Amino acid sequence: MTVTGMTHERLLELIATYGAEPMGWPEDERDAARALLSADPGAYSQALIEARAIDGVLSLEEVPEPSAALTQSILAAAPSAPRSRTGLLAGLAAMLFPQGLRWPAGAALASLAMGLVGGYAYASTGIGYDQADSAYYAAFGFDSGEDWISLE
Amino acid sequence: MSGIGESDQIARAAGGDRAAQAALVNQNMPIVFRVAYRMLQDRAEAEDVTQETFLRAWKQLPDWQPKAKFSTWACTVALNLCRDRLRKKKPVLMDELPERVDTALRPEEALASRQGIEGIAEKIAALPERQREALTLCALEGMSNIEAAAAMDVGVRALESLLARARRSLRASLSAQIEGD
Repeated sequence: MTVTGMTHERLLELIATYGAEPMGWPEDERDAARALLSADPGAYSQALIEARAIDGVLSLEEVPEPSAALTQSILAAAPSAPRSRTGLLAGLAAMLFPQGLRWPAGAALASLAMGLVGGYAYASTGIGYDQADSAYYAAFGFDSGEDWISLE
Repeated sequence: MSGIGESDQIARAAGGDRAAQAALVNQNMPIVFRVAYRMLQDRAEAEDVTQETFLRAWKQLPDWQPKAKFSTWACTVALNLCRDRLRKKKPVLMDELPERVDTALRPEEALASRQGIEGIAEKIAALPERQREALTLCALEGMSNIEAAAAMDVGVRALESLLARARRSLRASLSAQIEGD
């Protein structure tokens, strides 16, 4: 929001606070302050002279440059990008599975599922241990396991 | 740089983009160092504060919310770190000391006083802490009043009061020196 009204007191405040250069004044008050200054420059000449004295002295202030080592140490502590898979195992995996590990993993899962389903189906038929035992007893001339036990 | 450009740069820096990190440091490290130096008047300490500010920045970047410019945020952190150090050194706050009485200083007198010019850093350093912060951010670093107030965590009117007092104190100090020459 731009301030349109500017008073004599406020312009003196701006000069005493921000200095003589309008570019240093708050952006929303700058145009109105300039307009008032242009309308009656004599009313602010003393304030501007005093402000320029301080502005001039401040402009001569010097600060040393930071060392180049500071930049390096700051950047050395910066976060790294997420690591990609590297090393011997990753190379081996890439060689064996050039399309990635998705298909081998899928095949392993499919094998596991087939094994489970097959095993369950086989167990649910009731064919298995009892028939094998009967065949075994028959091979030795017994009709059933009971005859084998009575012989013992 | 601000807005989308700075947000994008910060996001890339947070993701480990070395170029974005270097740009962020190159753009903002000098102002952080200068602010810290003016507050502490010690190069090594100013570098420590600058480094600590960026260490905090690196941790903060993944959760960065673009509420303020990065430089404003960094100056806030640096000022807080400086205040902590100054508090350990000097428990009595200088802001409580009375201002020097202003006597008229003519610009030609100020500029003719070489000693006055050479001693300007010392005079700024002698200002009360909060006045020094305000003068550093606004008059020396060219921050807008809104940015400087945000960095100092004060209102704009409070900032203006600090700035006006800082300039009056400087003026009085320079005038006193000229009279003593």
